Amino acid sequence: MSKTPNFTGWHAMILHREDTNTERLERQFGLLGIRATCQWAPLANWENADLVLVDADQGWDDLLPAKPDALGKPLVALLGSEAPGRIAWAMQQGASAIIPKPVAASAIYPALVMAVSIHEERRGVAERMQFLEERVRMRPLVHAAVEKLRAARGLDEEQAYAMLRECAMRRRLSTEQVSAIFLGGAEPWPEVG
Amino acid sequence: MGDALKIGILYSTTGPYGAMGVDARDGAMLAIEARIEDCARRTGRAIEPIFYDPHASLGAYLDGARHLLREGCRHIVGTITSAARKEVIPLVEKHDGLLWYMCPYEGFEANENVIYVGGCPNQHLIPAFEYLIPRFGARPYLTGANYVWGWEMNRLARELIANAGGEVLGERYLPLEETAVGRIIAEIEERRPSFVLNNLIGPSSYAFLEAMKTLSDHDPAFRPENCPVVSCDLMECELDLIADGSATGQLCAASYFDMLDTPDNSAFKARAAGRYGHQRRISSVFASAYTAVDLCVGAILAAGSDEPQAVRREVHGREWPSLFGPLTVDSRTNHAALPFHLGRINADNGFDVIASRPALAADPYLTTRGTHMPARLRIVS
Repeated sequence: MSKTPNFTGWHAMILHREDTNTERLERQFGLLGIRATCQWAPLANWENADLVLVDADQGWDDLLPAKPDALGKPLVALLGSEAPGRIAWAMQQGASAIIPKPVAASAIYPALVMAVSIHEERRGVAERMQFLEERVRMRPLVHAAVEKLRAARGLDEEQAYAMLRECAMRRRLSTEQVSAIFLGGAEPWPEVG
Repeated sequence: MGDALKIGILYSTTGPYGAMGVDARDGAMLAIEARIEDCARRTGRAIEPIFYDPHASLGAYLDGARHLLREGCRHIVGTITSAARKEVIPLVEKHDGLLWYMCPYEGFEANENVIYVGGCPNQHLIPAFEYLIPRFGARPYLTGANYVWGWEMNRLARELIANAGGEVLGERYLPLEETAVGRIIAEIEERRPSFVLNNLIGPSSYAFLEAMKTLSDHDPAFRPENCPVVSCDLMECELDLIADGSATGQLCAASYFDMLDTPDNSAFKARAAGRYGHQRRISSVFASAYTAVDLCVGAILAAGSDEPQAVRREVHGREWPSLFGPLTVDSRTNHAALPFHLGRINADNGFDVIASRPALAADPYLTTRGTHMPARLRIVS
C-alpha cells in the first residue's frame, strides 16, 4: 500500500529568478503546507532546506553546495530547455525529477513525490554500499583469522570459518568485525581463542 | 442590450454516467434561467448557455472545450470524470478561462483555473469511514471501476483502514460498463467483510447492488443493516435504474440529498418541480451543477465582468448563499467547503439522511491531518 505523502512543515529552496514559474510553485507549495524561499544566488549549504528546486536552464556548477555523504537533499530540476547539456547538468547535480517550464500546477506534486522517494532510495543504496565496501575492505582479516584458528586449534578451514561465523552471529557482529577483534587479541575470547 | 454572457455547459448525457450528465445539464440550465432577469437588469446582457455533449467519448471533451471557448465562453461548467476534467484543463489554462467542476472526485488537484464545487475525500470518504468503522468494524471489502477514481479511493481506503488497525479483506475492479459481478460477490460471501466500499460507477454499480441484494436474501449476514454497501457517488437519478428495491438500506455519502429538510431546499425543489415536474428527484449532481452555475453567474455580476481573474476574486472574497448553506471557496485550493451527509436508500428510491456534518473545508492533498481519523459524527437519526 502506498502512503499518502505529506510535506507539511517542509522548507523548499527555489534557486530561480522570481517569475510566473516561481509564483506558481510558491502558490502550490503553500497549499501543500511547504514554506518556500526563492533566491537566485548560490545555496550556502544543504541544511537550510528539506527540498531544493533549481533552474536547470540557467544553473551553473557552484549554484549548489558540494554533496556531503548524505547525498544532499531531494533535488528537482526546473527545465524548459531540451538541450542534452542542460539535462546532463541537472542529472550531475543529482536531480531526481523534472518540472517542465512553463510550470503547470499539475506537474508539481508528482515531481515532489518522485524526487523525495528516489532520494530516499538513493540514500538507502548508498548506506548499503558503504556497509558492503567496509566488509570487502576487511575481508583479508577473515582469511588471517581462519589461518590463526586452524593453527591454534588444529581445525580445517571449513570448521575454523564456521566457528568465526557462529561467534559473529551470537555477538550480532559481522564475520569481518569478529575476525578483527580476534586477531587484535584485545579481549579474552573463550569461545574461539 | 450588450453581447450575451456565454456560459459553456459540457456534459455527456449518454454512456455509463449519462444519467448524471442529464441531471448536471438540467441543474445548470435551471440556475441560468433563474439568473436571466437579474443579469439583464444589472448588466443589460442576456445569459446564453451553450451546451456541448461529448457523448462519453473522452477525446470529444477537448473538442467540446475548444468549441465552447471559440464561441466566447470564458466559463465552462462541466465534466463528470477526472479523466475528462484532465483532458479539458490544459486548454482552459491556455485561454485563461475557468472550469467549474462540481462532482465528487479523488482529490490531489488544485488548479488556478478550476473552481471545485464537488467534494474531495476529506469531505466524503473520510467522514463516511469515521461513521462506518465504529459501527461495523474495520474489515471492509473494496471494489471499484478500473480507472483513477476507483484506484485512488481504494488506495486511500486501505491507508485509512491500516491506520485504524483494521484489514482490507479484498479489492477488485471492473471495467466501465462491465456487469459480471459474480466473482466479486462470491469473494464477499466467502470473506465476510464488515462493510463494502463501492467505487463502481453506472451499470457496474447497479448490477453489483442487485447482486448484493440476492446474496443478502439467502444470507442475512449480508443485509444492509449488517454489512452495508457504501458509495460516494450514487445519486437519486440512478436509483430508478436499479432493480426495484435492490439497493434499499444501502448507504451513500454526498453534500446534498433531495430529502434534506431545510426551507432553502423546499423552495429549491418547488422551483425545480415547476421546471421539470414533480416526479423529478433532485440529485447531488443536479444540486451541485445548479450551485456551480449560480455561484459563477453571481460572481460575474458582482465583478461586473466575466474576466476570470476578477470572477475568481469575487468567488473567494465572500460567503455565498447556496443550497449547501453559506458557501465559501478557499483562495488557496479553489475548493468549496461542503457539508457532509450520509444517506440511506429508502423503499421509495430516495435517501434518508442518517448523519450530517456542517461544512468541511476541502483538503485536496490531505495535508492538515493526514489519514488518521479523529472526531465524532453528529447523529441526526
